[in-house]
Amino acid sequence: MKKKKPKVAIYDLTDCEGCEVKLVSLRERLLAIERRVDIVNWRLGQERVAPGPYDITIIEGSPITEHEIELLKTLRAQSKILIALGACATIGGIPAIMPAAERKNWYKRIYGAQYKPRGIDALPLVAYVTVDVAIHGCPVDEDEVVRIVEELLAEKKPDARGYAVCFDCKRAGNPCRLLAGKPCLGPITQGGCKAICVSGGSPCYGCFGLRDDANVAALRTLLLSITTPDEVRRYFSMFHARTKGMMDDGKASAT
Amino acid sequence: MVANTFITKIEGHGDLAVDWRKEDVRLNIHEGERLFEGILVGRTAEEAHWITPRICGVCPIAHNLASLAAIEDAYGVRVNDTTTLLRRLLWCGQMIQSHVLHLFFLALPDYIGLDRGTELAQKDPRSFAKALALKELGDAIAHAVGGRNVHPTTTTVGGFHTLPTTRALEQLARALERTARAAEWTVRTFAGLPYPELRVDLELVAQHGDRIVSANGKSSSVRSYKKQINEELRAYSTAKFGTYRGRAMLVGALARLTVLTDASSAPARAPTVDSKNPFHNNLAQAIEIQQFHAEALRITGELLRSHLDATIAKPSAHPTRKGIGAIEAPRGGLYHEIHLNDAGIVTHANIITPTVQNLTSIEESARALIAQTRGHAKAKRERLLRMLVRAYDPCITCSVH
Repeated sequence: MKKKKPKVAIYDLTDCEGCEVKLVSLRERLLAIERRVDIVNWRLGQERVAPGPYDITIIEGSPITEHEIELLKTLRAQSKILIALGACATIGGIPAIMPAAERKNWYKRIYGAQYKPRGIDALPLVAYVTVDVAIHGCPVDEDEVVRIVEELLAEKKPDARGYAVCFDCKRAGNPCRLLAGKPCLGPITQGGCKAICVSGGSPCYGCFGLRDDANVAALRTLLLSITTPDEVRRYFSMFHARTKGMMDDGKASAT
Repeated sequence: MVANTFITKIEGHGDLAVDWRKEDVRLNIHEGERLFEGILVGRTAEEAHWITPRICGVCPIAHNLASLAAIEDAYGVRVNDTTTLLRRLLWCGQMIQSHVLHLFFLALPDYIGLDRGTELAQKDPRSFAKALALKELGDAIAHAVGGRNVHPTTTTVGGFHTLPTTRALEQLARALERTARAAEWTVRTFAGLPYPELRVDLELVAQHGDRIVSANGKSSSVRSYKKQINEELRAYSTAKFGTYRGRAMLVGALARLTVLTDASSAPARAPTVDSKNPFHNNLAQAIEIQQFHAEALRITGELLRSHLDATIAKPSAHPTRKGIGAIEAPRGGLYHEIHLNDAGIVTHANIITPTVQNLTSIEESARALIAQTRGHAKAKRERLLRMLVRAYDPCITCSVH
């Protein structure tokens, strides 16, 4: 008997939608995935909206408003597998730079005193629900999306990459930023990104998430030997402002 | 009676509340506030163009270039010719990427009775192959020059961290030559679509050099952008609503073609757009795909003929530390204003996005549509309203930021 195609829903919460743009950029490979699943819900791509339950729900973005937090919890309850897509969903990312306590002040400065704010805080999905699979990156990498989706369709649990961005950097032939005295979060960051930022000349701010057994304290000590504490804080907070052990200045190691 | 219509196939979350009896509409915007102008404060000059692309994954290059322009204005940096050409090429890639995504994946399904853009693969595989080739091309330009198709990695204040290799530029030139006919075909395809009738009197506004120019002949410096473009709060929206000198404005492809193209410079065979009909923004985007495609090919050729200068330009001796970066993004004029302290830390940021400028006119056009379709079935009018909002190609994500 032919197996029924898994029902897939794709949702975006508040975000830039760059990871969904990456899905569209898969082009022929997106078509190949579409043949193996039934995308029953994708607001960016289609009018069709089917109610849950879903076999796989892919969620991009941050649950910032009360409505989004409720939607996220509902989706969790309706989904067998919940995938966090991209840094906003997996680790908090850029929106998480804004501390919850400072939102009030910024609402007033940006919108004025009359404004009734909707947002509460920009946190990763794990702050509210259990996430089964994380597809990291700001934005996600196309090959990693395909790898993880294919492993799921083969009923495997996709593993995190067991190596650091440093490995990707060596493969790309990049000179080491740290050896050149430039800050880099590559050693504590999960690989799989092909070191695309460092290859382009930008720093690695760790958008692929902490790798297993990352020694954050050791990297912090190293970074403090080449730059100022303020700059180290800025590097750590670019994508990891809400990651445990990252922002407390070396007193705790990552868990 | 008020009915809410949720709008799919746009970038971000919004719905249209329609009061059919009063012929009134409200564009509700629900996207959460990320407070980017606050996020930027306390970050460095070199981090601004890293952070602001994350406002919008559909037009990240536009934000990247606007922030770079703002910081370089603040520092009095004058970039070299290579940088100018490469940024212009990157910008062409951005326009093609964004317009192709909107036209083929979000707008076209309305006109040919599809739900999802990729369904075109079965219905008309040859057309779909052309659409994919253009999508691939836009991504290839962004990748070759910017280092990645979404969120650039190679750009920096004063120039580029890394320049594309000759081989990459040669490959790009070949890809551009291969897709020239697909770009022409796009114009023909969108010129042949049955656009709904609509007449709205709006201020069409576009940047021209360092001026903000309207189709009605008004012109002012981009430095006065805050005076020209007023943003106001609406209780039902997390985005502000913009107006131009007090009137509803339309920015983007249709405005650019109207404001910047005079009859003498228009290609002879180019179809004419109806500037009073916002549905024609789709046709204008198709025409722009071909224009930017041709420009990208021209620039790539020029880069291949010239010696690439990798020098990164330095700040002037007496910078003002207050800069404005104005650039036409795919959806219209984008403004980044950034102030820095003497340690190079951002102390103030203001961002006005194209969609903010279009929101007031989306409502005005929707009211006009309702008034001009009296007597038609409600289901049809609702469908037209959804198509109208989509024709603007609103980026709600940008508008809230």
